[in-house]
Amino acid sequence: MDDVIKYLPNLLTATWETLYIVSFALLIGGFFGLILGLVLYVTRPGNILENRVIFAILNIIVNIFRPIPFLIFLVALQPLTRIVIGTGNGNTAMVFTMSMAAMFGISRIVEQNLLTVSPGVIEAARSVGASRLRVIFTVILSEALGPLILGYTFVLVAIVDMSALAGTIAGGGLGTFALEYGYRAFNDPVTIAALVAVIILVQIIQFLGNWLARKVLRR
Amino acid sequence: MALVSLTDVTKTYPDPSNRKKQIAAIDGVSLDIQAGEIYGIIGYSGAGKSTLVRLINALESATSGSILVDGAEVTTMREGQLRKLRLGVGMIFQQFNLFNSKSVRANIAYPLKVAGVPRAERIRRVNELLAFVGLTEKARSFPDQLSGGQKQRVGIARALATSPRILLADEATSALDPETTHEVLGLLKKVNQELGITIIVITHEMDVIQQIATRVAVMENGRVIEDGEVYSVFSNPQHAATRRFVSTVVRGIPAGDELAVLRQRHPGRIFTVSILDGDTGQSRVFEILTRAGLSFELIYGGINDIQGRTFGHLTIAVTGADAAIESAFAEISALTEIVEAR
Ligand SMILES: Nc1ncnc2c1ncn2[C@@H]1O[C@H](COP(=O)(O)OP(=O)(O)O)[C@@H](O)[C@H]1O
Ligand SMILES: [Mg+2]
Repeated sequence: MDDVIKYLPNLLTATWETLYIVSFALLIGGFFGLILGLVLYVTRPGNILENRVIFAILNIIVNIFRPIPFLIFLVALQPLTRIVIGTGNGNTAMVFTMSMAAMFGISRIVEQNLLTVSPGVIEAARSVGASRLRVIFTVILSEALGPLILGYTFVLVAIVDMSALAGTIAGGGLGTFALEYGYRAFNDPVTIAALVAVIILVQIIQFLGNWLARKVLRR
Repeated sequence: MALVSLTDVTKTYPDPSNRKKQIAAIDGVSLDIQAGEIYGIIGYSGAGKSTLVRLINALESATSGSILVDGAEVTTMREGQLRKLRLGVGMIFQQFNLFNSKSVRANIAYPLKVAGVPRAERIRRVNELLAFVGLTEKARSFPDQLSGGQKQRVGIARALATSPRILLADEATSALDPETTHEVLGLLKKVNQELGITIIVITHEMDVIQQIATRVAVMENGRVIEDGEVYSVFSNPQHAATRRFVSTVVRGIPAGDELAVLRQRHPGRIFTVSILDGDTGQSRVFEILTRAGLSFELIYGGINDIQGRTFGHLTIAVTGADAAIESAFAEISALTEIVEAR
């Protein structure tokens, strides 16, 4: 127990680092994932901006990168990370790698959720003279908003998972904390403290996500 | 000039089972729809009704032929012109297709936003439409809090927001129960009569045609097989498909099992008399039978009101001397159509 108190400042720093990494990865990966998913959706054959070539290319890219286990993705991306960020280590490098991985995962979730918007509703908007772009931004995205928030909540939890793994290789955060002060020091109470911190974090994320989705869906 | 005029229109899709082949969803349709009428298009599922109606507001593009809406050729319009065209052509749907994430008010305001109507004017117009469809107190509700009939009312208000000249109704009542159907059809009639909006009603239910249409086209396999005044199509159907549709609302000449049951229950010879609007008084028919000293019984049939005109079939079982029956038969034949069941 004393150890837990002793390492409390480290735990708080680690939690803070995790929050920082996860937030930025979500923000950046979420943004580009949204765009990628949206383009996949609109260019899909039969959809509003159907474009077989663009769809096929993006579809293949996402299919190749998305299923790569994160650890391998992280290591394989190191050369690119070094070019873009200047270093392969540290929290900023982690944010970059995680954003990339999250982008591919999120793009599929966005695409799947947009596909649930009924074609009839899109047709109704078109029938009153709305342009394609207007339909995308004022109907498709807003009709799918509730499920999208749930999708992002799901992704956010996955990003916390990624951050723990990434931290042990290239940066800080709760994963590194648990490994260094808990696991390697055979100090179970410290490991458990990290566990509790992560559980609280994930629960808060899930609660906020569900609450927001409920508000949007009015249920 | 007709408000909507289609000439030799075709629409083909690639065959899903063989991409090199084409399926003709619309196969050479010519139609004229006059301003102010309620024009019905009836056909079984897959006949091409939805495709046809979507050609009129160019949600689908025709493969060939000419489509004039209010004198303007739709088939050669660019995207910008099409958007303008659509502001003048409202559409309602079987599944209502409301925006679930928007309130009733926002649903109705949407077309006005698209049209660039200023906010104050938008609010005024939405209030007007809410009152017109009788949903003023539901303005802040969301679609999932409404009944089917209410949803369709919102659909109608949304379709009317930009004051179109034409309203397309694609199976607008097919998802509703008979009572609600009646209500919504009443509202459509009001739209036609009070606002002077031309309505094109698509349905697979002859009942709907009977209740509101003035003229009707019957579709089968992408073609119009029969069209004309609703009364004449009902009273004198030319095609087998049309006769089947008519028989769903009008009891015609009994045949098959129905006839067998009637024969079992009623002695004598069985005749069916057509009752048409105007000169065919039923009383004359009964008078002739009575005068001939025949006893008869009404055993089957019905009289309908179509566009304020009478039409129906009455089947009677007649007993008496054969000679008397023959002469009465001849006398009634001179009056109206009468056939003996065989
Ligand atoms: N987008 C499409 N792609 C391929 N075939 C279609 C498409 N839309 C309609 N069809 C075909 O066109 C025919 C007519 O369909 P539709 O107009 O929906 O008929 P209805 O509304 O009378 O039931 C059907 O055989 C249908 O399968
Ligand atoms: Mg249809």
